[in-house]
Amino acid sequence: MSTEKFLEIRGLKKYFEAGRPSLFSRATNLVHAVDGVSLTLRRSEVLALVGESGCGKSTMALLLMGLEDPTEGTVIFEDRDITHLNDGQRKDLRKKIQMVFQDPYESLNPTQTIGEIVAEPLLVHGMADTPDRDERVKKALEDAGLKPADVYLGRYPHELSGGQRQRVVIAAALVLEPEIIIADEPVSMLDVSIRAEVINLLADLRIKRQIAVIFITHDLGSVGFFADRVAVMYLGRIVEIGTMLEVLESPQHPYTKALISVIPVPNPRLRHERTILQGETPNPIDVPSGCRFHPRCPVAVDACKASDPPFIPLTKTHQAACLLLVK
Amino acid sequence: MQTTLQNPASLSEQTPSRLVSFWRTFRKSRTGVIGMWMLGIVIVMAIFAPLIAPYDQSSSEFVGIEDIYNPPNAEHWFGTDDAGQDIFSNFVYGARISLIVGFFAAFISIIIGGVFGLVAGFFGGRWETFLMRFTDIMLVIPDLPLMVVIVALTKPSLMNIIFVIGILGWTTTARVVRSQTLAVKSRKFVLRARAIGADKRHIVTRHILPLVMPILVVQAVLAISLAILNESALAFIGLGDPSALSWGQMLNYAFGRGAMSAGAWWALFVPGFGIVWVVLGLTLLGQGLEQVLNPRLDTHHLMPGRPIVRDEAQAKPDSSSALLEVRNLSINYVNDGKAPARAVEDISFTLKEGELLGLVGESGCGKTTLMLALLKLLPAAGQIVGGNVFYEGRDLTTLTEDEINTLRWSGISIIFQGAMNALNPVRTVGDQIAEAIIKHHPEQSRSQVLGRVDELLELVGIAASQRDNFPHQYSGGMRQRAMIAMALACNPKIVIADEPTTALDVMIQAQILELLDELRKKLGLSVIFVTHDLGIVAELCDRVLVMYGGVTAEYADVDTIYNSAKHPYTQELLKAFPDLTKPKKKLSSIPGYPPRLDDLPSGCRFAPRCPAAFERCHKEQPLVQSVGSNEHRASCHLLEASK
Repeated sequence: MSTEKFLEIRGLKKYFEAGRPSLFSRATNLVHAVDGVSLTLRRSEVLALVGESGCGKSTMALLLMGLEDPTEGTVIFEDRDITHLNDGQRKDLRKKIQMVFQDPYESLNPTQTIGEIVAEPLLVHGMADTPDRDERVKKALEDAGLKPADVYLGRYPHELSGGQRQRVVIAAALVLEPEIIIADEPVSMLDVSIRAEVINLLADLRIKRQIAVIFITHDLGSVGFFADRVAVMYLGRIVEIGTMLEVLESPQHPYTKALISVIPVPNPRLRHERTILQGETPNPIDVPSGCRFHPRCPVAVDACKASDPPFIPLTKTHQAACLLLVK
Repeated sequence: MQTTLQNPASLSEQTPSRLVSFWRTFRKSRTGVIGMWMLGIVIVMAIFAPLIAPYDQSSSEFVGIEDIYNPPNAEHWFGTDDAGQDIFSNFVYGARISLIVGFFAAFISIIIGGVFGLVAGFFGGRWETFLMRFTDIMLVIPDLPLMVVIVALTKPSLMNIIFVIGILGWTTTARVVRSQTLAVKSRKFVLRARAIGADKRHIVTRHILPLVMPILVVQAVLAISLAILNESALAFIGLGDPSALSWGQMLNYAFGRGAMSAGAWWALFVPGFGIVWVVLGLTLLGQGLEQVLNPRLDTHHLMPGRPIVRDEAQAKPDSSSALLEVRNLSINYVNDGKAPARAVEDISFTLKEGELLGLVGESGCGKTTLMLALLKLLPAAGQIVGGNVFYEGRDLTTLTEDEINTLRWSGISIIFQGAMNALNPVRTVGDQIAEAIIKHHPEQSRSQVLGRVDELLELVGIAASQRDNFPHQYSGGMRQRAMIAMALACNPKIVIADEPTTALDVMIQAQILELLDELRKKLGLSVIFVTHDLGIVAELCDRVLVMYGGVTAEYADVDTIYNSAKHPYTQELLKAFPDLTKPKKKLSSIPGYPPRLDDLPSGCRFAPRCPAAFERCHKEQPLVQSVGSNEHRASCHLLEASK
């Protein structure tokens, strides 16, 4: 694994307009979906982006894919600023960055056959007439674990199970031989028994094809074996980032600790006290003052209401944003 | 890593093309097929008019004064008209004109309406505002008077008539197409296509159009019938093309030239009948097509299961301490023509007061069917074919619909899967909870009911002040709490929760689980928790029933399941579960997929995926047998081998 930074995100922000607070007011409400995120991704690295719904993790995916335009910040890919590109400029880039969506039931067009779905990216990028087209489609399907590929080519999505459909989505992302796959909750709609398969598949691809993966999920439990680094997001910001073992085994931010404590342990003998945070992620229109997490934080002190905590470096790779870590 | 299709038998059969599968479904729609025949006859008649019509329309040979308004006879089947011409021949040729006007005018309407709808729906913004306002204006202008004005001002030639009917008949199509385009546009596969890099043209032609097309076809059929009606109306008031004798024109001539006073009813009846026949045929065809092509009209009936007739005398529960005892319950789905699908077979379990039972299995293993059967809420095809369900000593399978109705909600209530997303959006949450109370306690006053609603909301952790809010003002977690409140409305002893946390985040999931555990302690509630997530079961349940392919794989207390499971399926499921205490460990997965219930393997249902399967497993279905003590049961041939 090379240590070269090939995707770098600096201070990325995305605010959505959400109507006016009242009929007569001129200002509009702003949803602070992503509010200053900085990250780097190395070649063939797996980075897990973890957080509850409404923390901005899916918006991050859309920003990186260029499906939404960022309000502020820059995204640099292979030394090229790709923050604001038009569709034409972005087209070539799309071959290198692909996305896998959450819901395999919704993300496949029911009127297309599996063969058409997987070949579609080639068609879009003018590679449909190349002689090796069928080979590429079959290879993508087989790499995604759908063997033998011939059986699947003429079928329609409704004939496949959820796990198989998610493999088709992955095959369609693989066919252009991308360098990064952004996977937005790829397993949350699947049965637990199928989840392991899809995660193992993504892990294998990273080894076989040197693909970097940004794995977006709300379930810290599913990142264990697979991720190199974990970034925990809360209300548009990253609150803790570190290597997988650092975050899972010695979490420092109270939010990460709570998230880890509620992960079900599949053994009744290990039932433990869980830190269940009450309420839900606050509305990203009125972001709490000071530390964004303080209204739900079990260990918040008065100072948390006033000042926004900086990132505290804990080790070379591990950082967390919490006032209590300031020594 | 390899996977097989769900159903190995289907490998050999070819997937039928869309057209073939469409035809197979359409054939079953009686209205559609009748409509198709009705229209087909007229089209054949129009095409082969010169062969069918006994007399040439334009020739007035052999016409004499004695031929005027002759009633139907052997020579002139439908009689003659004021010019002594054969009405049957005119009728046959008239079909040509009417159909030509109908098809071409409809074609124009569909093109205009389709393009307007697609553009407005896909591009949105100013295009949409402009096009849809224009459509609205066109929609409020009455068509017929406008047509009359335009046709009267221009020459009433066939071309003009087609054109005028066409450009005035597109408004409905535009609106329907727009709304369908909007719906398709917001679907995830369109976003995925954008992520691939597809441009707008590609998205419209490959993703939007194929899904708008079915609706366009239905609209086209209806537009044809509208155009035929409009043409007849225009012709009837004298604005038809005098050189083209359509059915409307025939009516006009007969009416204007004294058919009524001559008592020649046939001169009016025949063309009138033609119009009615074609319009009716088109309407039926349109309805049939809509049923096949519009998936939103698919109805799912939730009806009481068919009554079962059994010879056994009244059975008695085994244990008197159990609140609910299910004994050897089997459920089939009737599959027209084919052998019934054995969805649930020989399932037994007991539920004590205050106990939490986890029902675990992959999608399609029969969990939901089993739960619906307890309350006799199976869909019409579902049938309890054996076994008993004892609730407080009564066998629920023998109760009548009325008897079980009083038990639903007040004895056993159910939180349906995904129900939190099915709350009625235009009624307040409090109102919807009150509904359940009023249904079972109609004698309560309004204030009593509201008091009870507040009490229920507080019980599930929602402030009573939120009672009059609408579902969209609730978050996902709160909606699920509201569903729990609804299930508790009539003080049931048992609550069945079908995947209540599946779509929720881990933190909200933990909150809901905590709530269910609290309620059980506070109210002494028994809960059946249906899930595919073994982790949740370990956190919460007392006993666990693991189902696979409709049968019991293993049934035991929670500690036994997690620490000394006997069935290979349970063992494999546990291995596939990520364990945070060993983060570096690679997850193992169970290869393959669960069997389809209408295509079960001959031996053990798990054998095709089982790592320990041997010869016997593929031939013979293992029986459920006791393992050791403490009500531990499993169905596996290995158990006998080890005995």
